[in-house]
Amino acid sequence: MSRIQPPAAFAVGLLLISAASAQTDPGVRPGAVNGQTGATATSPLPLASVTANTPQGVLEFFNDGLDRFQEVDNVSGGTAGTGLGPRFNFNQCAACHSQPTFGGSSPANNPEASVISAGIVSASTNSIPSFITANGPTREARFPFFFNANGTANTAAPNGGVEDLYTVSGRGDAGACNLQQPSFGLAQAANNLIFRIPTPVFGAGLVENIDDSTLLNNQSAQAGNGLGISGTFNRNGNDGTIARFGWKAQNKSLELFAGEAYNVEMGISNEIFPQERPLPGEEVLGSGLPTNCLNLARKGYPEDITNFAATTGSDQFATNASIPSDLIAFTMFMKLLAPPTPSTTVPGGATSISHGSAVFNSIGCSVCHTPTLRSTQASNVTPSLGGAAVSAFSDFEVHHMGTGLNDNVSQGNAGGDQFRTAPLWGVGQRIFFLHDGRTSNLLTAIRAHSSSGSEANATVSNFNSLSTASQQDVLNFLRSL
Amino acid sequence: MRPLQIKPGPITLGQITLARLLVLSPVGSWSAAQEAGDSPAPTPPAKVPAGVILVKGAWSSASDSTTPVPEGGRATDREYHSSYFQLTYPFATGWKQKFAGPPPSDRGYYVLAEIEPADAHLGNLLIEAQDSFFAATSSNATELVSYTAAHLRADNQVERPPTQMTLAGRRFARLDYVSPVTELHRTLLVTQVRCHTVHFTFTSTDPRVIDHLIDGMNAMTLADSATPLCIKDYATGTNVLNRVDPILTDRRFNSIPVRVVIDTSGKVKFIHFISSFPDQARTITDALQQWRFKPYLVGGKAVEVETGMVFGVPPNRPMISGKQDPQLPPARKHETT
Repeated sequence: MSRIQPPAAFAVGLLLISAASAQTDPGVRPGAVNGQTGATATSPLPLASVTANTPQGVLEFFNDGLDRFQEVDNVSGGTAGTGLGPRFNFNQCAACHSQPTFGGSSPANNPEASVISAGIVSASTNSIPSFITANGPTREARFPFFFNANGTANTAAPNGGVEDLYTVSGRGDAGACNLQQPSFGLAQAANNLIFRIPTPVFGAGLVENIDDSTLLNNQSAQAGNGLGISGTFNRNGNDGTIARFGWKAQNKSLELFAGEAYNVEMGISNEIFPQERPLPGEEVLGSGLPTNCLNLARKGYPEDITNFAATTGSDQFATNASIPSDLIAFTMFMKLLAPPTPSTTVPGGATSISHGSAVFNSIGCSVCHTPTLRSTQASNVTPSLGGAAVSAFSDFEVHHMGTGLNDNVSQGNAGGDQFRTAPLWGVGQRIFFLHDGRTSNLLTAIRAHSSSGSEANATVSNFNSLSTASQQDVLNFLRSL
Repeated sequence: MRPLQIKPGPITLGQITLARLLVLSPVGSWSAAQEAGDSPAPTPPAKVPAGVILVKGAWSSASDSTTPVPEGGRATDREYHSSYFQLTYPFATGWKQKFAGPPPSDRGYYVLAEIEPADAHLGNLLIEAQDSFFAATSSNATELVSYTAAHLRADNQVERPPTQMTLAGRRFARLDYVSPVTELHRTLLVTQVRCHTVHFTFTSTDPRVIDHLIDGMNAMTLADSATPLCIKDYATGTNVLNRVDPILTDRRFNSIPVRVVIDTSGKVKFIHFISSFPDQARTITDALQQWRFKPYLVGGKAVEVETGMVFGVPPNRPMISGKQDPQLPPARKHETT
C-alpha cells in the first residue's frame, strides 16, 4: 500500500508559509462574561441546580459566599472583616480573582500596584516591589531557597513559601506592629525569586467531585501516547488520595485551598489554619512574629470563625448561610460556581474553532489537557455536581515542564519543574498565562511548554510543524474556551 | 539593592546563618557524593543558576555512576548514543536535538531523544523506550505495534497496516498512520532491546521526509548484550532466598520502579531507581543489599540477571500480558540450582 503523498504545490506552499509567522493570539474573547448570559463582571453564575435553589437554601450559600469573597478586610475594628495581616498580598479575595469576573484570575489593572494610593498600606513602611506593576499580573512572590549570611541563596536549603508583599505596619488599625517587607531586591539580585498568579476557580466544585478512579483511568488511557508524555499525580499525604488544586495540585479540597489562601495571602487565621503565619524564614528560625504583631484584631485566634450567634431576621436560609466562617463561605462559593461556557463561533468562526479543536487533539495537546473527564461521583451537595462531565481540559496530573518553566519550588510530590496541567476552560477570557503570568500571548505560552526536560517537547514540535492556518485555528479554538 | 544588615525585626544575621542547618538531600546520583570533610565547602554561587532544576521531585538515580542506565544516553550535534542500549543513531543532515527529554517516569518510560530539523515545519523524530518490566501495554514489539494500530486516537487513520522490516540488521515492527486533520504522517518503528522496547516515531507532513529518515537508520548501530539476562519478575517466589522489605515511612504514595542486576552469586550488584525520592532510594538500597537470589544457570553456568520490581504504591496500569515476539529466537530453557 503506497503512502498518501501530499500535492507538490502543498509542499512548495509549506516552504513559503514557514517563512512567515502570521498566526496571532486573537486576545481576550469579547462578549458574554464566561460565555454565559446573565453573568457580569461582578456576578458570576452558579451551577444550574444552585440557580434553581436545589436543595432549598443552597443559593443563599452561594450568594453569601460571593458577598464575602468581595469583603474588604481590615486589621482591626468592628466584628467582621478583621484579622488582615500582619503580612498580606491584598485585602480582598475578589480584587485578585476578578478576570473576567469574581472567581477568575488576574485582572488587567493590578490592585497590588495601588496599595499605597488606596491607603491599604503605609507609604512610610512599605514600598511597591519592582515586579508589581500597574498593568502587570497580580502576583505572589516566593524565594525558592533560603539565604546565606552573605546574602547569596543557599541552594542546599529549599524555601519556596510565600513571601507576602506588604505589612500592616503604619496602618492606623495595626497598633505598634513594626515589620519589614521581605528583601525582594536581594532576592531578585540572587535570581532567587519566583512568582505565582491567581488560579481561576470556575467549576471548582466539579473538579473536587471527580472520583480518583476517573483520573486514574484517564491516565491509563493515555499510556503509550508516543509523545513523550507520562505524568503522575500529587497526593494528599494523609490518606494518599489524589490532590488537584493549585499550580502543583498540592491541595486536596476546596476547603483546604481556601483556608491556605486566606491565611497565606491575606494573613487571616481560620479554622483549618488557626495560627498567624510568619515568613518562612521567621518560622524556620524560630523567631516567629514579634509579640506586638500578634492578635492585632484583639479577638483571639483564629481570626475567622463560625458565627455562633448569627441572625438575619426572618429569613432562615439567609441565617443558615451566614453561620459558617468566611473560610466555609469561600468554599461554598467556589464549590457552587459554574464552569465557563465555551463559544462555538468566537473568535474566528465555527469552522476555524472546530478545526482547531481537532488539531489540538491530533498533535497531542489533549493528552495532558484532557477535554472532558466523565463523570463526577454522586453529589450530596447539589444535583449539578453529580454525574457531570467535567470539560476542564486537564488531566489533573503533574507533568515535567522543563527548565523553562521550572521554579525550583516543590509542593507535595511535585518537584520544581512539575506543574499540574492547567485547566483551560475559561482561558479565552484570561489575560495572563502560565504560573507566573509571564505572558499575555497564547502563542508565547504554547511555546513556553518546550524546554530541556519537558514532556511537551514533541507536542510543541508537532504544533510548529503545522501550517500557519492550522496554528491560527488552534489559537482561535483556545480563545473560544 | 537593599543592604543586608541587622534591623529591628524578626530576622538577624545570626539567625539566617542557622538556616544552613536545613540541608536538602543531594539530588541525582547519590553514589558520587564524597565523604564529609574530604574537601572544603564550596563557595556559594552569587546567583541561583538559571535554567537548572535544583529542587526535584521523584527522579532517577543509581548505585554507581559508571554502569550504563537507559536514561544515560546523550545527543551531540551529530548523533545519539546510548551505552545501555548499545545504540548509536546518526542524525540526518540538518537534524539535531533541540531539547533533552524529561526524566524517566514512574512507569519505566523514557524519552531518549527528540530530534528536529532546522526548519521546524519538516517534522520531528522521537526516540523512546519502555522498560518491559513495567510496561502498561505489551513488551512485545509486534504486539505493541498491533495494539497501537487498534487504539489510534480518533482523528488518526492507518496508512499502512503493521508490518515487519529490517534496519541496520535488526528487526523492527512498523506502523504508518496519518492525521487527515493536521496532515501529519507518522511512522512508528519498534524493536526489543535489553529488557525494553525502543520506539522511533517519525512525524512529518511530508512522508518523503519520513522515508528518507528511515533509510538513514541503516547507518545506525544497535546491539544486544549477552549479559545480563533479562528476566521479568525474577524477584519473586523461590528465586528469592532471603528478602528484607524496606520500610518506607514517608507517605508519599508514589510508585518506585527499580531495576537490579544480580551477580552470579545471587547478590544484588547494581540498583537503578527509575523514579524515587532520595530517602526512598537509601531505604530500599539498605534492604536490597541484604537480598539473596538463586543464581540463574544457563548451560550449567551462573549468569548475571537483570530484573525489575516495584516498591511503594503499585503502578496504575491496565495489564496486557507480553508474549515472546515470534520473530525472535526461541526462549532459552531455564535452569536453576
